[in-house]
Amino acid sequence: MNFPLSLWDISLWIAITAIILLVTSELLAPYSDYFGDFVIEKTRLRLAALLLGAAFMVTVLLRVVMPH
Amino acid sequence: MMSPKSNDNAKSKEKTDKESEQATVQYLMKTLENLQKENEILKRDILKSKRTPSGKIGFILLAIGALTLVGSVVNTSTVLAFIGLGLTFWGALFLFARPIKFVRGSLLDSTAISSYTTIDRIVQDLNYKGKPIYIPPYPKEAYLPEYLKGLKEMIVFIPAEDVVAMPTIEEMAEKQFLLKNPKGICIAPPGYGLVSLFERELKTEFTQIKLDELYDALPAIIINNLELAKEFEINPEKDLIHIKIIDSVYQDLYSSEQSIKSIHSIGCPLTSAIACALAKTTGKLVAIVKDMISPDSKTIEMWYQTLEA
Repeated sequence: MNFPLSLWDISLWIAITAIILLVTSELLAPYSDYFGDFVIEKTRLRLAALLLGAAFMVTVLLRVVMPH
Repeated sequence: MMSPKSNDNAKSKEKTDKESEQATVQYLMKTLENLQKENEILKRDILKSKRTPSGKIGFILLAIGALTLVGSVVNTSTVLAFIGLGLTFWGALFLFARPIKFVRGSLLDSTAISSYTTIDRIVQDLNYKGKPIYIPPYPKEAYLPEYLKGLKEMIVFIPAEDVVAMPTIEEMAEKQFLLKNPKGICIAPPGYGLVSLFERELKTEFTQIKLDELYDALPAIIINNLELAKEFEINPEKDLIHIKIIDSVYQDLYSSEQSIKSIHSIGCPLTSAIACALAKTTGKLVAIVKDMISPDSKTIEMWYQTLEA
């Protein structure tokens, strides 16, 4: 019973999710005033996107340090 | 020389006046209490009905995601692992990114109306005609003896007559409501809480900054940080300070349906907070001299004047 994903699989998943979140966060950025009934806090969304981006960079760094 | 009969009459009249004044104050206090209770009940009801479902969705996604991840480990399935990771992540994000306190703008009006109605009643009942004056407090760091600690609170003085007068330091320090010399009432400004929020956003007290800095900081705080209005301008105009607010969250308070009179002299919570900020920064008395509201209440223009005590 092993976890089926390797570090590189997770790296890919993090990259895709980070891109989705960063794009969403950028698209929401101009709506700094009212955004209807949109209940997601934009600053936290941006923070999560940046954290995921950083996590992806860490995985890339790991790939550079440990290529195999 | 006064006859004993007229003397008695004057005494009895004075006694009746005193009694009626006491009865009025008691009546007003009771009304205020009832309105506050109603206000609390209304707040709770609205919050209950408007509660956002993002918390529940977050928990559900998190639970399903965790189960799928366990399933992926048991079956050694890559697809299940990806699905589980995705669901877990979005569940956590929903819980993390949802605002803790999300309230509808209409709630702001319904909670503020009772205070304004009470002020209207008090002013009407006591037949006060003076323009409310914002009195600046002492800075929070300033040392004051215990009996003068009350001077650190921002207050609005509504005088009985239309003259620029300031209550005595003793009366202000004792946090009195009904003042005798000059005659009037002292209340907490409607923007009292909001001005503290402004200071928290600014990370300093308004007493510590200059007027130019205030002109620069206020639009950013009101538009970007607290999102209280869509547009906000503040400009000095001769001896007045002019502000223009577009799409304020408190705009409905100015509508003719509410028919609040005191809002034009004391201001809505936002304009009142601006008056407090001006008073704190300049260290002078501030009064709202004029206001202009567009028919749809979307544009609010107000002119403030700083006065010497």
